[in-house]
Amino acid sequence: MKKTLFFSILLLLLSTMLGACSSGEKQNASADGKTEIDFFHRWPNEPRKSFYDEKIKEYMEQNPDVHINVDYVLNDAYKEKIRVLVSSDKLPDIFTAWSDSFAENLVSSERIMPLNDVIKEDEEWSSKIIDSQFGGFTFDDTTYGVPFTVDGKAFFYNKAIFEEHNIAVPKTYDELIAALDQLQDAGYKEPLVEGLTNTWAISHYLGTIFERVVDPAVLEKDYNAETAEFTDQGYVQGLEIFEELTGYMGEVSTAIDHEAARNMFAAGEVPVLYMQFAEIKMVEEAGDVEFGFFDFPEVEGAKGDPTALTGAPEGWMVSKNAPEETIDFLKFLTSEETAADFTKTDGQLNAIEGAVTEENVNPASLEAYELITNATSTAPWFDNAVNINVADVFMRGGQSLATGQTTPEDILKEAQQEAQNQK
Amino acid sequence: MARRNRIVPILFILPSLLFLGIFIYMPLIQNFYNSFFDFSVFSPTKEFVGFSAFEQLFGDKIVMTALINNIKYAIISVVFQVAFALVLATILEDKLFRRIAPMLRVVYFIPVMISISVIALLFNFIYNPQMGLLNSFLELIGLGNLAVPWLGNATTSIYAVIAMSQWQSIGFITMLFIVAIQKIPKELYEAADIDGAGKIRQFFSITVPQVKETLFVNMLITITGSMLVFNEPYILTNGGPGTSSMTMSVYMYQQGFFKDNMGYASAVATLIFVVTAIFALIQIKVSGTGKDE
Repeated sequence: MKKTLFFSILLLLLSTMLGACSSGEKQNASADGKTEIDFFHRWPNEPRKSFYDEKIKEYMEQNPDVHINVDYVLNDAYKEKIRVLVSSDKLPDIFTAWSDSFAENLVSSERIMPLNDVIKEDEEWSSKIIDSQFGGFTFDDTTYGVPFTVDGKAFFYNKAIFEEHNIAVPKTYDELIAALDQLQDAGYKEPLVEGLTNTWAISHYLGTIFERVVDPAVLEKDYNAETAEFTDQGYVQGLEIFEELTGYMGEVSTAIDHEAARNMFAAGEVPVLYMQFAEIKMVEEAGDVEFGFFDFPEVEGAKGDPTALTGAPEGWMVSKNAPEETIDFLKFLTSEETAADFTKTDGQLNAIEGAVTEENVNPASLEAYELITNATSTAPWFDNAVNINVADVFMRGGQSLATGQTTPEDILKEAQQEAQNQK
Repeated sequence: MARRNRIVPILFILPSLLFLGIFIYMPLIQNFYNSFFDFSVFSPTKEFVGFSAFEQLFGDKIVMTALINNIKYAIISVVFQVAFALVLATILEDKLFRRIAPMLRVVYFIPVMISISVIALLFNFIYNPQMGLLNSFLELIGLGNLAVPWLGNATTSIYAVIAMSQWQSIGFITMLFIVAIQKIPKELYEAADIDGAGKIRQFFSITVPQVKETLFVNMLITITGSMLVFNEPYILTNGGPGTSSMTMSVYMYQQGFFKDNMGYASAVATLIFVVTAIFALIQIKVSGTGKDE
C-alpha cells in the first residue's frame, strides 16, 4: 500500500517535470497534419477584427493545408504582451509591429526573421510597397518588417463651428491660440479636448511640437540613445507650448481616454481634436460632423522644421522560427487586393501602391494620403523615436503639466538624468 | 515500524513542499539574483551591475511616492475594512437585525464575487467627470462645486482608487468577522445583559477580545494586501496622472514590461518583499499569535 503511494507520488512528480520540459518546444503541425501559423494582431475592435477574421477564412479556404490561429489584444496591452512573448521565446509566427524603436527593440531579441531575401526574390509583390515606408523597419541595411498602414497626425476641426464663428484655418501657432480663445469665448469650455490618460496621446503632441521648435540636428542627436542629452532650451519651449494647449483641454482631459475625446469631437461637442488619419472612418461612423484638417501650425521664430509630418507606418514582422508558409501568408496580407479591401472596410490608408483610390476612400482620406506620400520628411511617433525611459519622463511629465504638478524645467532635468542613465 | 512512521509524514508533505519550493521560494531567490543584473526582455545577455539598481532605488522619487501611496492604502484599509467591518459584523449578528441579516450579508458580499476588471469599469463610469454617477449625485444634492474629475486629478486619484477597494473588500472581511462572532458563546452576552452592560460595553468587553485572532488575521490580510495592491490602480489610472496614484506593484510592472528594465523591476520587487515581510513580522510579534493563550 505504502509502496503504491510512494510510486504514485513519484510518478506525479516526474510527469509534471516532463510536462514542464516539453512545453518549451514549439509545435507547428497540428494533429491532422496541417501547418499551423500563429497570427497575433492588435485590433479586437471593429471593423478590423472582422476584416482579419474574414481574410483568415479566405486564406484557409485557398490553402487547405494551413491552419491559422489568431489572437488579438488592444494597443497598450499589445505592447506589453508582445514583450512578454519575446522574452519567453513564444513569439507568434506573424504579428503586428510599430516601426522605429519598437521594431528595433524586437529586432534586438534576435528572434525576428530578416526579410531582405524575401523582398528581393518576389519583386512583383515587393515593388508595390511604397519604398519610403520600409525605413522604420530597416536597421543596418537589413529589413525586418513589411509596412502596411501609413498614418499621420493633424488637427481636425469642425467646419460648421469654424464657419459659425468666422474662424479661419490657423497657419501659425499664434493663430491657433487666437482661434481657441475665440472658441472658448463662444462657450466651448474645452475647445481642444484630449484623452490624457493615454500617455501615447501626449507623446504624439510632444513629438510634433518638438519637431516644430527644436533644431532638426539637435533632435537627431537626442533621438539617438548614445548621444542623447536633452539640454536644448527648445524642449522647454516645446513643453510650455504643450502646457498652454492643455489649458484649452479642460479639467476633464486627464480623466478620459482618447476614444472618449474622439467621441466628443464626433458628437460636435468639441471643435478641434488632434487626431490620426487612421481615425477618420471612426469619426464618420460615430457622428455626423463635417470636418477638415490642418497640420500642426508653424511656431514663428522657432528653429524646428515647420512642415515635417508626424506619422509612422505599422506593419508585419515574422518570427525567425516561423514555418515557411508564413511568408506566403504575409504576401497575402500585403497584396494589393487585400490592401484595397482593407482600406475600403476600415478607412485606414495603406502603403501598397494602387490600393488607395477614389473608389475605396472618401475625399478627406485621399487628401490625407497625398499629404503623407508627399511629405518632405516624416517623423516617427515620439515614444517610438526615443528611448522608452526618456519618453516616459515626457509622457508622465505631460500628465503632471496638465494637472499643474510640475514645470517644464523639472521635466527636462529629469529627462537629462534619464538620458544619462541609459548610456 | 518506528522508522516507517517517520517517513510516512514526510512523504505526505513532500509534494506540497516541492511545489512551494518551485513556485514560491525559487522565484523569490531568482528575483533577488536578477536584481543584480541590467537586462531587458529583448536582450539575449545579462550585464552584472552589482548593487547599482538598489542605489538607484533609494534615490528614486517615484518609489517614494509609491511607498507613501501604499501606506495610505494600508492605513485607510485598516480603519475602514478592519475596524468598520468589525462594527458592521457585530451589528449584523445582533438580535435586532437577525431577520434581515442574511439579506444584508448577501448585499455586502456581492462586490467580493465580482471580478476586479468589471468593478474597475463600473467605477470608471461612477467617477467619469461628465456623466459619472458621483458628480451627478453631488450636483443633485447641491454640492456641485465639490465635483472634480476624480481619477484625473492628482490629489484625488489615489483616494478614488482606495475608495473602490474598500467598497469591494469590506464584505469579505465582514464575513470573516461574522464567522468569528458566531463562535462566541451566547452565555457571555446573556451574563452581560443580566449585569446590565450596554451594547457598546459588550462590544468592547466581549466581542473584541473574543475575535482577537480573526482581528489579527484580517489586519495581516489588509496590510500585506495594501502593500501589494496592483489591479485597482493599474486598471483605473495606471498610476497617473503623472505618478500621483502609483503603487509599488504598478511601478514594478511598468519598469519590467513597459520600460524593459527587468533588473530594476526585480529590485523594486525585492523592496516590496522586504517591506511586506517587515510589516508581517511586526504584526506577528506584536499580537503574539501562534502561542497558546
